[in-house]
Amino acid sequence: MLVAAVALSFSGCASPSRTSPDRPGLFVLGIDGMDPAILRRLIAEGKAPNFKKLAEQGGFQELGTSNPPQSPVAWSNFVTGLDPGGHGIYDFVHRDPATYMPTSSATPPPGDPGTFVKVGGYHLPVLPGDEVLNNRSGTAWWDAVYAAGVDVEVYRIPGNYPVPASEAKTLSGMGTVDMRGGYGEYTWITDSAPVPPQGHDLKGDVQLVAVEDFDLDGIPDTVKASLKGPPDLFHLEPGKLPGESDYLSAAITVSIDPAEEVALIELGEERVVLKEGEWSPWVPVSFDALPGGVMPLAGSVRFYAKELRPAFKLYASPVNLSADTPPQPISTPPAFATDLAELLGGQYYTQGMPEETNALKDGTFDDDDYVRQVALIQEDGSAMLSLALARFQRGDATFVYLSDIDLQCHMLWRHGDPKHGDAPAHPAFEPVSAAAHRLDIEGYYRHVDGLLGRVMERLPPDTLLLTMSDHGFQPFTRVVHLNAWLRDNGFLMLKGGKRTGQIALGDVDWSRTKAYALGFNSVYLNLQGREAQGIVSAGEADAVAQDLRTRLLALTDGDEARRVVLRVDRGRDIYRGDRVAEAPDLIIGYDRGYGHSDESTLGEILEAQLADNTSRWSGNHLMAPEVVPGVLLSSHAIQGEAHDLTDVTSTILAWYGVDPLPGMLGAPFLTP
Amino acid sequence: MALFNSIFTTLFDLLLARFGYGRPWFDLLLWPLVGGVMALLVIKAVSNQAGILRAKNLIQVHLLEIVLFRDQLRVVLPATVRALGYNVQYLAYNIVPMFVMIVPMTAILVQLVSHYAYAPLPLNSPVTLVVELDRAVAGVKPADVSLELPAGVQLDAPPVRTSGNVVAWRLRATEAGDHVLRVRAGAWTEEKRLSAGGEPRKVSMLRTKGLEALLYPAEPVPAAESPVWSVRIMERRDQPLGWLPSGEGGILLWFFAVSLLVGFLLKDIFGVTL
Repeated sequence: MLVAAVALSFSGCASPSRTSPDRPGLFVLGIDGMDPAILRRLIAEGKAPNFKKLAEQGGFQELGTSNPPQSPVAWSNFVTGLDPGGHGIYDFVHRDPATYMPTSSATPPPGDPGTFVKVGGYHLPVLPGDEVLNNRSGTAWWDAVYAAGVDVEVYRIPGNYPVPASEAKTLSGMGTVDMRGGYGEYTWITDSAPVPPQGHDLKGDVQLVAVEDFDLDGIPDTVKASLKGPPDLFHLEPGKLPGESDYLSAAITVSIDPAEEVALIELGEERVVLKEGEWSPWVPVSFDALPGGVMPLAGSVRFYAKELRPAFKLYASPVNLSADTPPQPISTPPAFATDLAELLGGQYYTQGMPEETNALKDGTFDDDDYVRQVALIQEDGSAMLSLALARFQRGDATFVYLSDIDLQCHMLWRHGDPKHGDAPAHPAFEPVSAAAHRLDIEGYYRHVDGLLGRVMERLPPDTLLLTMSDHGFQPFTRVVHLNAWLRDNGFLMLKGGKRTGQIALGDVDWSRTKAYALGFNSVYLNLQGREAQGIVSAGEADAVAQDLRTRLLALTDGDEARRVVLRVDRGRDIYRGDRVAEAPDLIIGYDRGYGHSDESTLGEILEAQLADNTSRWSGNHLMAPEVVPGVLLSSHAIQGEAHDLTDVTSTILAWYGVDPLPGMLGAPFLTP
Repeated sequence: MALFNSIFTTLFDLLLARFGYGRPWFDLLLWPLVGGVMALLVIKAVSNQAGILRAKNLIQVHLLEIVLFRDQLRVVLPATVRALGYNVQYLAYNIVPMFVMIVPMTAILVQLVSHYAYAPLPLNSPVTLVVELDRAVAGVKPADVSLELPAGVQLDAPPVRTSGNVVAWRLRATEAGDHVLRVRAGAWTEEKRLSAGGEPRKVSMLRTKGLEALLYPAEPVPAAESPVWSVRIMERRDQPLGWLPSGEGGILLWFFAVSLLVGFLLKDIFGVTL
């Protein structure tokens, strides 16, 4: 037994390489949101020397994105070589036709929660329910390449959570949840209620507290607050969604020094000293799902002491799943995430989209706060890229995802359009902040250029280096409340003569509604036999869809009669694969500058059809695919033109001599 | 408690790490083995061996009864009750040796943890030092507490003096070594070792007057009249131990696993019934 234990310990230390070193390897840098026009300009201005070098070495082309050009859809195209009709991811947001409720595209609507027995207030599982699986169909390219005998490492791949089974080493990226089970909810502990921008609902968990004078010396010194963790599943009725009070929590005590602007933050057993304006390192936090520490759920959080006095404003990041001991798998094999934590010296961002866009939208962060937080994520991403490079050996296949560009374009575009120098000021332009942040996006491109230089320097010379993005970017100046447009054009009716309301609140009169919008680019017909209260018969569907299409294409905005919608596609016409039946009936391709409003995306019906986009979310790509192509750069000459994401997948397989998998749509762009 | 810690720490500082802290495997194999043998000797000396043998035999008899007459409820139910009863009796026979062993076994385990569980902290990384004042010793308030740093350690943030009688500093070690931090509390001075950088060695996390001192014996317990209740370094790094499980939990599991294994392997040689 002792010998076996020792042998087991040794076997865990290192895994022998499977890759044959006599063939060249592959390294893919996936840069979310990199735009070809911006990159071309920076190359021309000498501000992206490494991209220039790579373009001259092999090639640089625009890369066709997915339809719709949303990250989960586009990355799923890249991962599987299929389009949404094959992999089943059509939008960030899908809908349940039985209830008309929006659902996450990453996971299908919840099924059987299982059988539980109630003991002492706890719902204890007796028989397991439906497993929560990734909604993406198809075979990931890394599985095919691994099966061909190649060592594969995939870092922070979007859309891979919940993590599908794989023999390859993968770490999930965009879409990976925080401890609360969402895409990231921050906590704002303050003694002064934040004032969100008009018409904007706060996304963060705001805790209004009092700074109390515990030692009665006349100087307020102590704040008591709490940090919400995962849903309290053992107390929650099985199958029920958690309410505000259904989460486990951990107590936070903040002690402020009476003389200096410095505080001691206590969270569980952990304590950290933070000066005003500082970010903390990762602070571990554990939530007990069962009494007695039987089931600790480990997470990690970072604090930012925005202001200690006279106002108190403390930010706590969404609680990231612990990288060291994640309470649920975020990698394959599960130990890969833990190994990375050990190699990187501790916690890293496990939340899929860690950039704190919500706090910036809420106004609790200003641009300086946001940019400083992005810098922390960049440090983290840079360290992970270095690690991936250090582990890369000739013959290996490695993918590394970089988030440096995408969310920063979303949030900082309003300060100065990096793509259209003569563009008028964005409706969300903030002159004071713009002076400091006008060139930030360019700075992020240059940072990525530096990372690319590091990659090119380190890789064995015959390695195929592909640098690609899932889509490009455009300004987002006008929001379209599409459900309002559907109402005004007689496709959507509300109950009781109301003009505004919400699908989720039961305000829609389905007996008179022909179509509704849910998701960022999706419109569904209220189809008989599919929707719970469908009224559009199969025979009428084409006519209704064509009517919608014609009217949407004719939609104009303002005195200049600007075109709003560039294209409208029928899902069943443009997609191929086994899951076409799940496709939205119409996919709306907005023209440059236009996009779905957040409200319409989640099924809200407002009064106006169109409005200025005054949100800090000011750049976008949820438009027609042709206005937001991505980039493709290769260290080897690119054959042909007009390639799209599925061609990259085919090229990866072809590089290792792997035949295309059934249903794959792309074609390799390298000469064998 | 201070005397207990002092005796065991002096003793084990002599016994442990004879081959250096870089080769922990010798101690982490030897001492669980010693623990296992010691357990056998204690069990043989203080337990009711005949009673244990009888209880075990009777448990087996009743389990056999349950298996053979599984379709006869009138037999199975009393047999189950009796088997459970003899299980309780078996556990009761083991209580006395357990009480005898708990002190030396814990002392060995704590000393192994103290020597091998923690790594020196990395240079230039933030370190939180927390001093808690003893409320039973009057006269010293957080405002009266200061910190004297040696060369090679820098203050990274002003101290936080809390209403809960705690003072906390954020430090940064810039040079490798076992630095001695001096906490001045009124006229009293307490010292705390801060190990940073360099080779693996014995690392002290905590000095306290509390019961926790039994688990952290690397430095002396503060004197009863000291106004300082505890001095604690919050950050800790597990010392990698190669193929052995590391950290407090790893050493604990390893120690009990090997001790149990040794006990079961050698029980017949020592003539012990477990």
